[in-house]
Amino acid sequence: MSPRGTVFRETMLGRVRLAGEENDRPVRLDLVARADRVLLPHRTTRARLTGRIRIAGRADDSGIEGELEISPLARRRIRYRAGFDLDGRRLLLDGWKSVSFTRPLTSMTVLPYTLYEDGARAGAGTLRFPLATGLLPFLAGFRFPRTAVPADGPDPAPRWDGRPGRTEVWYTTLTDPATGTGVWLHHEVVAPSDGSPAYAHGWAALFPEDGPVQHARFGPTPWTAQSHGFRTEDARALPGRLTGSAGPFRWALSEEPQGPPLYTFPRWSWRHPWLPAAHLLPAARAHYTGTVRHGTGELRLTDAPGASARIYGHGNARRWAWLHADLGGGDVLEIVAAVSMRRGLDGLPPLVFLRLRHHGRTWPRRAERSAVGWAGMGRFRADIGLPRWRVGGRAGLQRIRVTVTQPPERTLALDYTDPDGSAAVCRNSERADAEVHLERWRGGWRTQALWRLSGTAHAEVGER
Amino acid sequence: MRAPASPALEGFVAAVLADDGTAGWTRAVPPRVAALLDALPAPARLAVRAAAAAVDTYAVARTGRRLSALGPTARQQVMASLASRRALLPLLDAVKVPVMLAAGTERTMHHDAAPPPSAPKDPPLDCTPSAHWPTRSTADAVVVGSGAGGAMAARTLAAAGLSVVVVEEGEHHTTASFARRPPLDRFIDLYRDGGATIAVGNPPLVLPVGRAVGGTTVVNSGTCYRPPDHVVDRWLSHYGFAAAEGFDSPLDEVERALRVARQPLDVLGDNGLLALAGAEQLGWAAAPLRRNAPGCRGSCQCVVGCPTGAKQSVQLSVLPEACAAGARIVTGARVRRVLTDRDGPRGPRAAGVLARRPDGSELEILSPLVVVAAGALHTPPLLRRSGLGGHPRLGRNLSVHPAISVAGRFSRPVSGGRGVLQSVGVEHLRAEGILIEATAAPPGMSSFVLPGVGRELRREIERTERLATLGAMIADRPSGRVLGSDRILLRYDLAERDAGRLLRAQRAMGRVLFAAGAEEVLTGVPHAPRARTPAQLEALLDTVSARRLHVSAFHPTGTAAAGADPERSPADPQGRLRGVHGVLIADGSLLPSCPEVNPQLSIMAAALAVARRFVTGS
Repeated sequence: MSPRGTVFRETMLGRVRLAGEENDRPVRLDLVARADRVLLPHRTTRARLTGRIRIAGRADDSGIEGELEISPLARRRIRYRAGFDLDGRRLLLDGWKSVSFTRPLTSMTVLPYTLYEDGARAGAGTLRFPLATGLLPFLAGFRFPRTAVPADGPDPAPRWDGRPGRTEVWYTTLTDPATGTGVWLHHEVVAPSDGSPAYAHGWAALFPEDGPVQHARFGPTPWTAQSHGFRTEDARALPGRLTGSAGPFRWALSEEPQGPPLYTFPRWSWRHPWLPAAHLLPAARAHYTGTVRHGTGELRLTDAPGASARIYGHGNARRWAWLHADLGGGDVLEIVAAVSMRRGLDGLPPLVFLRLRHHGRTWPRRAERSAVGWAGMGRFRADIGLPRWRVGGRAGLQRIRVTVTQPPERTLALDYTDPDGSAAVCRNSERADAEVHLERWRGGWRTQALWRLSGTAHAEVGER
Repeated sequence: MRAPASPALEGFVAAVLADDGTAGWTRAVPPRVAALLDALPAPARLAVRAAAAAVDTYAVARTGRRLSALGPTARQQVMASLASRRALLPLLDAVKVPVMLAAGTERTMHHDAAPPPSAPKDPPLDCTPSAHWPTRSTADAVVVGSGAGGAMAARTLAAAGLSVVVVEEGEHHTTASFARRPPLDRFIDLYRDGGATIAVGNPPLVLPVGRAVGGTTVVNSGTCYRPPDHVVDRWLSHYGFAAAEGFDSPLDEVERALRVARQPLDVLGDNGLLALAGAEQLGWAAAPLRRNAPGCRGSCQCVVGCPTGAKQSVQLSVLPEACAAGARIVTGARVRRVLTDRDGPRGPRAAGVLARRPDGSELEILSPLVVVAAGALHTPPLLRRSGLGGHPRLGRNLSVHPAISVAGRFSRPVSGGRGVLQSVGVEHLRAEGILIEATAAPPGMSSFVLPGVGRELRREIERTERLATLGAMIADRPSGRVLGSDRILLRYDLAERDAGRLLRAQRAMGRVLFAAGAEEVLTGVPHAPRARTPAQLEALLDTVSARRLHVSAFHPTGTAAAGADPERSPADPQGRLRGVHGVLIADGSLLPSCPEVNPQLSIMAAALAVARRFVTGS
């Protein structure tokens, strides 16, 4: 089933003759149709209707509800059935456009209908779609939003299929709202390029508000094939559950997803690994409950906000910057800006994948938009550095500026090893600061939202 | 409103009727002919007008003046000259029929201005003219056609609790409206194409079918025969028409609904009594027919709508019951297409119908079940228009009852416009596939083509009261085909065997009439019109081939036949159209072969059986 639906608006004007009345009355019908799949003309698509009906002098009901059957070719019919209130009575509007190839315009725009009350006829009339004034808004209003979010996000099975020269990562970052402590749990499988056996390793790191950053590694241990998530003797990162130990660290956390998945890179790149790497969040936000022990200390977490992410690819980038910022109110900002290791791509400026989930919608709509723009024009830009790095860009009528600050005292530097054996240094902070400035064009750039995160942003910068 | 007659038509009518201005009724004939022609399909109308113009031109060439400007004597000479050419006789016969019908009507109205019979109130029907029916509506079942089959299907489905809409192309005519109007006016309204539906062939057949709420049952003669056992057996065993299993049960129910009974002798009329007498003289089996007209008063107008409400056409018997069970009838709506949903999980499925109002606008009724009962001539084109005409046998297998009539002149008036129109069946030759039925004509509407033109014809018209007429229909081999989708073209090639049967029927009817005491028998054959003795008749008919007969045809059946063989039968044994879900066939087109008798009961019982099986899911 297609993961996309269809939403469009339609306004029709016409007349109605109610039973018992001598004259027609003007009618206006404003509808929003939502279908769970993409509207294609050769098949029958059903959609839910909501909207408003106005019958001059008799009714103005914004609660019209019903269904739409769109089948212009298979059934040659576009049928509207919707109920509404008229003077306290519940009426059903039932009518259809009967598509004729000899009269395409008329048959696609004229909607004769009958009104029923409890199955008895209560009126009849005709609505017309005003082509001259309505066609452009109608066509421009078509949207094909994603629907049918799988409850468990992407397939939880490991993505690695045994090929050498690959790496796969499960990591979780969170912030304890009570103490301001940041936590980073990293689980990684590396399949070296030289064909030697894959191994698993990882680490845990704690970023307390009032002390130095602590961390400890676990592994490496030989990797064996798994059906779910990451599982070794030392640590487990399974959907909904994180347990493990590394040096003085011992953790047991439950994970509760708080939203749909967020694909930082284009969705296709997870299914078809044509890019050097792909990154996604099975849940854009999650809450963590449990304990993280570190030596004698213990961190008790209750609904601590954070997120888990997965990476699959050839290895680390030449340079990269990453940000996960829980903006509150369900909003999330995820940024990956990276320069590829591949020859030819390594000379390009960083590709920026920026995903802002704001008011339930993800902006920019396509992940490719921020990275490549329109053949490079209008792409988002990143200025990667330390302790401060910036990302900015514009898409549609909105633009964003993000400034991330990783104070050295709150930053942990770790050595990474790629499958080909090359090394990189990652400087990570789960207590970074960030300022996110979202603006909208309304004759001039007006601030739409401004978030300032102090010590709750999760960020890192990697270099060679 | 009457259309004014053209001068050519006026002259032609005056010449055919030898109008010398002495009789008052002849003046009104030309406008009535013009009105009748207006009801005919365009080719027939043009043919008659062209013939009139041709005769007028002939008169100009011969006399220098048009027919309308000639005196009676000169006109008679022109017509006599034409009639002397044998090759022209069949043509003259064809074009004089409308003149005879109009003349008969005017003469009857002039001489016999009887007060209209008191008409009882009809049982209520829920009829809505298409102009007042909403453009979009829904139902559980749509029945296309309100004739014998459609009415029965509608009643059965409505009684099962379905919301049923019957869509009828014709209008609703009440018994009172029949009583008010002369027969010929009703004839124009009640028949498709003004009764001039022609099947092309040699000889061509006139195949009149009704078009009204009630279909052809409004205009049939009311004769109710059960299908013979051997026919039902053949339907079951040879064709596998499973709906005919236990056919007695639906037949009994139909007979009850139509109140079928043998016609009592009291109002039988001279025509029927003479047939009985003739058959008795010959020792042939004959009896009054079983009819659906209890309390028949012998108006002799069955074929133009019973003016007393005695004949239980379906709009007086079955449709009121259907309406009482909730069925609704839309009148004046011609179904253009059966709508289909082609993306169903199990193949295409009926979704409703699209019908056209007289003003050209369209209405649609959505329903998951469409019962097609448009008649054997119009069901195939409807299915073709709907994209459902893919079965190679659809429209083929057309059976009709080819029929001829013979008139006997008696020494006394025998058909004074009283009596039962189709009264007596002479069954002596049924084993040979010949059924003779004494069939009179409504007052002024003799369908028998009288011989001659001019004074000879006028003389015959003046003496029509002395004519008794017999009709014979034969059980045919399915020899016809319905072509076309928008406009139909009927093709019927009379089988050699059936031509022989027609000639045998012609002789047999002559024998019955002579046996009943006829002074003269009129054969209806243009070049051998009359015989005064049986021997003369035999000699005369030796010279006649079936191609020269005036053959009518009735009772079309079989064009969407049901049967077990998917190759041979467009409909399956349950009456469901193959290749689509949700389409039932419930009219004469369903019958696998010729029922050999008047088919009203067979069609209604088949429709009842098909609808019952649908309802019970068996």
